[in-house]
Amino acid sequence: MKNRSIYYIAIITWSILPLAWQIYTSFSSPEALTAPILNHNNRWTLENYIQIINSDPPFWTYLANSTLVGLLTTFITLLVAIPASYALTKISFYLSSIIRLILLGAALFPYVLLFLALLEFARKLDLGNNLLALSLPYSALSMPLAILLLSSSFRDLPKDLEEAATLEGLTLLDRFRFILIPLIRPAVASTGILVFLFTWNEYPIALTWISNENMLTLPVAMARIAGSSIYSVPYGAYAAATVLGSLPLLLFVIIFQKQIVSGLTQGAVKG
Amino acid sequence: MSLILVLPAIILVILVFVFPLIRYAWLSFHAVSVSTGLVMVPNFGANWSRLIEDQRFWQDLMQTTRFTAFSVTLEIILAIAIALLLDQRWNGRGIIRAITILPWALPTTIMALGWRWIFNTPYGPIEQLTQLFGIEYLNLLSIPKYTWITTVIADVWKTTPFVALIILAGLQSIPNDLYEAFRLEGGNSLQALKKITLPLIQPYILIALLFRVAQAFGVFDLIQVMTGGGPATSTESLALYSYLNAMRFLDFGYSATIMLASFLLLMIISITSYILLKRLRLLTVK
Repeated sequence: MKNRSIYYIAIITWSILPLAWQIYTSFSSPEALTAPILNHNNRWTLENYIQIINSDPPFWTYLANSTLVGLLTTFITLLVAIPASYALTKISFYLSSIIRLILLGAALFPYVLLFLALLEFARKLDLGNNLLALSLPYSALSMPLAILLLSSSFRDLPKDLEEAATLEGLTLLDRFRFILIPLIRPAVASTGILVFLFTWNEYPIALTWISNENMLTLPVAMARIAGSSIYSVPYGAYAAATVLGSLPLLLFVIIFQKQIVSGLTQGAVKG
Repeated sequence: MSLILVLPAIILVILVFVFPLIRYAWLSFHAVSVSTGLVMVPNFGANWSRLIEDQRFWQDLMQTTRFTAFSVTLEIILAIAIALLLDQRWNGRGIIRAITILPWALPTTIMALGWRWIFNTPYGPIEQLTQLFGIEYLNLLSIPKYTWITTVIADVWKTTPFVALIILAGLQSIPNDLYEAFRLEGGNSLQALKKITLPLIQPYILIALLFRVAQAFGVFDLIQVMTGGGPATSTESLALYSYLNAMRFLDFGYSATIMLASFLLLMIISITSYILLKRLRLLTVK
């Protein structure tokens, strides 16, 4: 047991150390960052955080934008994916296997290669610089994984249950509301959470669709700080932004850890 | 009835995944750039012959392949080790799991610049450590020969947790009785790893491998923010090159050609490696 804990410490250190360096940087004054590591004068400061919070637009705008797109995308994805996944269990086995294989291929696809065609869509339909419009490509891109996850849990439900409900005279909508969705709730939760995470972190499409400062999502806003001046990146302020931007996600991961793990592992098992 | 329920999803998927590839095929046989006033003019395969003679494309292909090979290999090896540890029953397992997922859950762009700061010369912690030991500055971010290594490290840091979770699912699917029976037969734990664990988690490794190879081959966020493809385009990936062609050089026809070529190459790589693994009998699953 003892030497095992060394490995645990190694894993934790490896995961946390780069973040810890960001936290350290975010509280350091510019002088401290460029002076030898043991210099103690004017070492600590909150200046970086004050700068980030008072920036224009304020930092929380990006957090709010990302959250808004994330919630809308999750909603649309589930709205389309749940009925589709249910229907996949009703059609012939042969056809549904083919559809699932195609979906698997799409889920594996590095979607960044699609950005140019998607940008053309945005230009044709005048969806550029529209925060909520981002949900359209996002939900479409999340669809393969969502359907794969949800359809496998629909398939695991006992058949008699729904037959009994149908005999009782429940309509399809009622069956969804009162029987099917409550039963697959864990899968719905983990699918929703994975979709939200994907949306929250998405970069290339947000980068090409949005240029208005007030509508940027968090990942693009972070990258903008990086690109603002290639020679002297304001590392202290950037680190403060990193910390503030990571906190919501840290909470998210701690709260939804179980669903994230089960979503990913289900994806691997059923995929 | 069932088909009506599937239809919206199918349409969305086709619109986003299939239509773009057809569109790229069409674009790749046209000149669409500033010189044509962004109007599509057929150019009869000129994009493709340019691609074949484009040094930068081949260099980026080599770089993307190298990045993919190194980061995915490291990720799988580390992930197996981490998954084996996380599989142990232990009180604080939940917390450790949350901590290990965190790098994967964070947006890539958030830490991409963080990594640039870590490798910064002379103020980053790596250089300060080397100074402590009296070694000269490594200048990892400004020597084209070595910078790609820093991107591999950043990618391994971020993505290993994801791979580890998938492999963990494989480990947890192995019934405990199997190990007990093996122990009763007199096998030790190293043999158990070789004879039971690794063969049984093989399908999970394969799924992780497939997914990671595809994603790493399309690496974009990390490179664009961390190094911008530099120094001297040494870390530029295919996705970044096609992005630059579209957004900076405004040459949409050529950008589409690069993306379609990347996609086709990825297909070829996946299919040949699948066949190869099967031929070599490294693969026992279907």
